[in-house]
Amino acid sequence: MLADAVRSESYRALKNRTVLVWSLIFVPVIWLAVLIGGAFIDAKVDRMADQLPPQLTPARAALDLGDALLSAAGQLANPALKAYLLIGAATVFSGDYRWETWRLITARNRRPNLIMGKVGAVKLMTLAGLFLFLLAALIGAVIKGVILDKDLMFRFGGEQARTFGLLFLLAYVRVVQFLMLSLLAAVFTRSQLAALFVPLAVGVAQGLLVTATPLLGWSPIDWQTLLVFPGAAYEALKSVILGGVPAAVLQDGVMWRAVASLALWCLAPFGLALWWFSRQDLSKE
Amino acid sequence: MTAVIETTGLTKTYGAVRALDGLSLSIPRGGVYGVLGPNGAGKSTLFRILLGLIRPSQGEVRVLGQHAGDPAVMRRIGSMIETPRFPPYMTARQVLEWLALAHGQGRGMGKDAAIDAWLDRVGLTEAANRKVRGFSVGMLQRLGVAAALMTKPDLVILDEPTSGMDPPGIQEMRALIRSLADDDGVTIILASHQLLEVQRVCDRVAIFNRGTLAAEGKVSDLTASGERLRLSATPLAKIIGVLGDRATIDGDAVLAAIPRTEGPALLRALIEQGVDIDEARWVGADLESVFMAETGPARTDAQVREALHAG
Repeated sequence: MLADAVRSESYRALKNRTVLVWSLIFVPVIWLAVLIGGAFIDAKVDRMADQLPPQLTPARAALDLGDALLSAAGQLANPALKAYLLIGAATVFSGDYRWETWRLITARNRRPNLIMGKVGAVKLMTLAGLFLFLLAALIGAVIKGVILDKDLMFRFGGEQARTFGLLFLLAYVRVVQFLMLSLLAAVFTRSQLAALFVPLAVGVAQGLLVTATPLLGWSPIDWQTLLVFPGAAYEALKSVILGGVPAAVLQDGVMWRAVASLALWCLAPFGLALWWFSRQDLSKE
Repeated sequence: MTAVIETTGLTKTYGAVRALDGLSLSIPRGGVYGVLGPNGAGKSTLFRILLGLIRPSQGEVRVLGQHAGDPAVMRRIGSMIETPRFPPYMTARQVLEWLALAHGQGRGMGKDAAIDAWLDRVGLTEAANRKVRGFSVGMLQRLGVAAALMTKPDLVILDEPTSGMDPPGIQEMRALIRSLADDDGVTIILASHQLLEVQRVCDRVAIFNRGTLAAEGKVSDLTASGERLRLSATPLAKIIGVLGDRATIDGDAVLAAIPRTEGPALLRALIEQGVDIDEARWVGADLESVFMAETGPARTDAQVREALHAG
């Protein structure tokens, strides 16, 4: 039953080509263009460097696609990708209110399954968006190698793969956590605009307020900071994955508090939306 | 005769408004069942409760022997409430495919052939690959009916299924509804303000008024109760003299409100009194007159004019 809901929601989302382009394709394409533009600038810098005395010219190292992939994984939960994925999520979450189509599907499945079907479709969409961003980064690195006339190599050993996997998983959770606010806004307000702008407003507010935490005497890894600002929790975990956090801090339980914060920010909006939706009068759409 | 719908004391209130007021109704399995009533009589509220879209404030409702809203039961119901709407970026075929997936009909289950068959049955084959945003109200109605029926439900609830359709479309829809009931054994419950259509297509009807059941029964029984003997004869005064207040003037004829059993005796009496009878035939009441009798009179022309002037 849940699989039916996920399948039908995914099918419907796939047919909305305009939203798919904006939600999944736009940011990777722009990112690819930025990478190519950066490569041309690098090429120009290289040409200038060629005019320097040989002893000052940097060695021409091969371009490691594994490093490019790892670097991209660290940037997956960037604001642009989150904001554009939000377009697709808001459409999926609020579509049945906007098009008055709840009555077509409520008779075909349980209400929790209907909501979880939407969440499942958005999670698949998020995975696709993250993979496309990585693909753009990989293609960008290859093109950069061609433009800079560098040898290409692909080193992706056990440690790199582990770090990549953890960064990818963390970014995925962070994006899904952000999109859960859209679900809550859609169900509470029945409005696509709210589903779109409430998470943006919350995200911007959190981004601004987190800079004010020192005024309250909170450090970036205090439990209050991690609990109120899921972005801080994400950054803390990213530092842990990249090995940037001293062992003493890790012993302090930062990692688990950050994990708990992200889990709470994922589950609380989802649970509230589910609870509200189960009691909602769907004859008014 | 088993019932597909049974309600006992069903009540739904919206603030101070009682949309349904202690409704007790039993809808038998099989055939086409009409639900009639003026706007605000409670028809749509009943349908929404049956489909689990809203919950009753009070009372019991059983659908196909189970509680309304039970997912196992809901999957056996097809419905179209008011003018259906669909995601406008999808084609008609995609809409049906999406709903088939939502119903658990994946690939390799004859889904595509079934979709083609339903598009053909509701006359949308040529528009199958057109986006829904360009559809007329009538085409949306047809697609809504296909969406309601494609999962082979045991019970179908249709709210104004011919609304917005042209006359040939209405005729086709009537034939489709009848064939579903007669050939496929589907029980169909429909609400409509088009009383002539209801009289043509329904076996039984319930007439709602202000959230309560005003009348219920076979269409033939309800209309037969208003049957009259129409007499074209001269002189009319003599007929009126015989019938008294059971006579009503209808143009150049008289309508006699008498039981069929009294017909021959009346004719003999009139002939004995020298009445020259050109024609005598039984005429049934139509559903409209039954409806008006049960739900209260419509405003007179003078009342309408007065309301317009006041407005």
